[in-house]
Amino acid sequence: MNMKLKKIKQIRQVLAFVILGVGIFGLMGTAMAQETVKFKESESSFYSDLFDQNIYNEGVNQLDLGRWGRKLFKKELPSKNVNVFDEVPDSGFFTNRQGREKLSLEALEKGYQENAGPDLSKPLQVIAAEQRGIYPRFWVRDARGDEYLLEFDPQGNMELVTGAEIIASRFYYALGYTVPQFTILPIKPEQFLVAPGATTWEDTGFKKKLSQKRFEEYLMILPQNEEGLYRASACKIMKGDYHGIFSFESRRKDDPADLVNHRDRREIRALGIFASWINHYDLRESDTLDISIEENGQVVMKHYLADFIGAFGSTQEGPKDPMLGYEYEVDYGETSKSILALGFREKPWQKKWRLAGEKIQGAPAVGYFTNELFDPARYKTQFPYEAFRLVTRADGFWAAKLLMSFSDEGIRAMVKAGRYRDAKNAEVITKTLIERRDIIARYWFSRANPLDGFSFSGGKLSFKDLAVEYGMASKEGTVYHLEVMSEGKKEKIAQLETKELDFDIRSEWIPANGEVRILLRVARASAKTLSPAVTILLNATGVQGIRHED
Amino acid sequence: MIARAKKLFCFLCLGLFVFALIGYGEEKKADLYAPVYTKPLSAEPLKGVFSRVLEFPFKLIKWPMDQGIIFTENHRLDKKTKWIYEQALKQGIKPLFGFADVSAIPYYGAELNLLTIARQKEKYPDFFATTTILHCPSVFFNVGSEIGAQKIHGTGFHAKGLFNYDRQEKEPFYGIGPHTSMGDSTSYRMETTQVGARAGYEFSPTIDLVAGFDYKKVNIFNRAHDGKGDIRTIFSGQNIPGIGGDDLLNYSLTLGRDTRDSKDDATCGSYQKFLFQFTDGVNGSPARFFKYQIDMAKYFRLASPRRVLVARLFAEHNEKIDHGNIPFYEMAKLGGAGTNVRDSEALRSFVYNRFYGESALLLNLEYRYTVMEYKEFKVKTAIFSDTGEVFGKIHQFRLKDLRESYGIGLYISYARNTLLNFSVAHGNEGTYFYIKNKLAF
Repeated sequence: MNMKLKKIKQIRQVLAFVILGVGIFGLMGTAMAQETVKFKESESSFYSDLFDQNIYNEGVNQLDLGRWGRKLFKKELPSKNVNVFDEVPDSGFFTNRQGREKLSLEALEKGYQENAGPDLSKPLQVIAAEQRGIYPRFWVRDARGDEYLLEFDPQGNMELVTGAEIIASRFYYALGYTVPQFTILPIKPEQFLVAPGATTWEDTGFKKKLSQKRFEEYLMILPQNEEGLYRASACKIMKGDYHGIFSFESRRKDDPADLVNHRDRREIRALGIFASWINHYDLRESDTLDISIEENGQVVMKHYLADFIGAFGSTQEGPKDPMLGYEYEVDYGETSKSILALGFREKPWQKKWRLAGEKIQGAPAVGYFTNELFDPARYKTQFPYEAFRLVTRADGFWAAKLLMSFSDEGIRAMVKAGRYRDAKNAEVITKTLIERRDIIARYWFSRANPLDGFSFSGGKLSFKDLAVEYGMASKEGTVYHLEVMSEGKKEKIAQLETKELDFDIRSEWIPANGEVRILLRVARASAKTLSPAVTILLNATGVQGIRHED
Repeated sequence: MIARAKKLFCFLCLGLFVFALIGYGEEKKADLYAPVYTKPLSAEPLKGVFSRVLEFPFKLIKWPMDQGIIFTENHRLDKKTKWIYEQALKQGIKPLFGFADVSAIPYYGAELNLLTIARQKEKYPDFFATTTILHCPSVFFNVGSEIGAQKIHGTGFHAKGLFNYDRQEKEPFYGIGPHTSMGDSTSYRMETTQVGARAGYEFSPTIDLVAGFDYKKVNIFNRAHDGKGDIRTIFSGQNIPGIGGDDLLNYSLTLGRDTRDSKDDATCGSYQKFLFQFTDGVNGSPARFFKYQIDMAKYFRLASPRRVLVARLFAEHNEKIDHGNIPFYEMAKLGGAGTNVRDSEALRSFVYNRFYGESALLLNLEYRYTVMEYKEFKVKTAIFSDTGEVFGKIHQFRLKDLRESYGIGLYISYARNTLLNFSVAHGNEGTYFYIKNKLAF
């Protein structure tokens, strides 16, 4: 008996130890888990981006059997971060702003703002500088202790670079991307003060102490307006821990919230479409930023787009070169075509340039930004990111829908943020953007199924035809085809056609505790075939799921 | 009072009912942007297993490449290199790089502008004094100097004195005439020391007439190489003039006209060069001959500067006089890429120095077209045909002896300076690949 009691006692002791051990381990684990959100630095540079995208990926992508399989069997790779309603939920990459609710004109013009820009109550302390080509840029600290990166316009093109950067930041922000604060900063030379210990990267490649004399030499290169003011775009240096760039290809494995490869994120794929809208040819990984911040007691990663001086008609050195937007930095396809055509093939940009008399027709503040021979299907950013190539019809539709949510006035409001002295320049950019928005949307609405805004009430499934709503397709001759499939898409229950934007859904089609699958297609009088399908999942309470065909 | 209380109560009830209805309606409206997925998000690899295995060896290269590139960019090594190059130029030192014609071995060296180095260039802007040193391991070593003046007294007159020492380690030789064989391959080592003077008048920026005088000492060293025999053994039954070396005096007159828009990347214009030279052997050398040489090319734009057709004619004739001879190394030579001035002319599907002859005729046709351009960076493709032959006397020219080359090239240039020239040419002696940093013409 004693032995038995002793054994029970021993077992109890062991159990107590095990429980204690598990408890301690658990506690340690929790503590460790809180500490393990340590993000690695993900470095990139212009040339490494060039090597990775233009040389390495272009080569090894040919070894991707899945890619060949998709090409061969014409299969698309759907985006993996879309929710049941075919939308992109908010994340560190993207926040539904204009998509969720149309922003006011004031909000569109304002963009992302933490404050009104650098505080000029005291001179800005120049803490660092860098000379790129001949033009400098400065890192400054204001009276509040906030830091900013100031970029300037090139000589002869006042407002070109600064305007492009400010406006593009408004567009990306309104679309839903994370951007730093950008403000226009008119500033006098005496409002700068070189901080002790300030350094500069000279164009010689050497880092030197930034002297007042050298700083003044830099200023002499920069254009001033009639009032003697310099014009800068001030990018606020965001608070948080910097972890380099984010890839357009793979996910950040050290971020538990980053589960989907970026290549398969719809908002990353759609960046190529948005870049084509605002002519942001040098949208590239090396111009992104990953910053971790503490939000609601948790460390979260925010993925920023950060450099927009290559948007609209601008580049850092002046107006855009004619080929930008039409060819990759190294474009094997275009080059091969030209080789095979023995030089007698005129590339679209060459034709456009020839038709323009080989002169930039736009004002110096606008640069080279026109819609002649603009083809949304062929727009190319500087590097061939696979994510932009993988855009499916569903992704394209999502992007086009978002584009069309910006009214003409909304676009005008965002362009207004560029603070152009001549209103004509703002109007030229606005007009080009409005036209380009429509060109892009028309392209995607014609390729994808343009039906949206599904609702189910009173036994009626109603929807919107965005192509008709935006005047890109005629209602005349448009017929909507509906197929009702039983649960699991096993058999067709019914097939209907209508010219109206709603269908009566019979209650017997909807199973008592299940969903019915409805496939909707559009037939236009001008098109020979039906559009791709959009699948609606319905139950008695309403729409449970939407999926546009990829 | 009760009635009022009842009314108030009714209003309250109605209000609550409406509020409840609104609330109910709001609850029913689904959040289209909610993170509700068909299946939970999960981390997936970008590629399949087999594709990843295929990619793996390349990944091993990618990482160090990326790190190297990022290090270069972070430390601005590219800019530093450019700055060092520009500083060297400012100080009067011009680094020279290229590829030897005899093989793809790179050469390196420098041109020293002595007046700039001595800080005297500003004082004497029309004078120049340069020294050039070039070395290509196991191929050649060259050192030369020039001193002279341009635009003497503001006129078109110019004059210079020159010295040059050149040592060629492995000059190929296959015999003389159009019917030689690749099988008779051998080579010789040649050492040339040259002292001379030039004087001329520049009629306009495009036309120049130059008279020259040189003393040239040539030593030939025969040797066996690469398992092949000595030049004297291979060609034992043949008379190869100049095989023992010579002391030569050259008197020359050159008329040049050049209207090209760029010397290295011309898209229009033309050039013509006419050379007449008398060479006299001294110190027992039997060499005595006239040299006539024409080199001309026209660059036709085909409706665009992006498409250029180049037609080039090269002709040389060496005429023995007074029973003298023409040393074989002074003869016309064909074969190779033709990118080095002193070497054999461009007949690209044949090896460098493939043909030696008293006379030579060569026609190059090349169509160049731009296939990519970005700012000042250009990539051009070229399709070319070279047709030529060497022969003895002019009446010995035979159409059937013409040798032909066909090929393609890819030329990469920046700011109209050729950075790389990849060419491949095919002919009846095989296919040859070239990597150069110059164009033939």
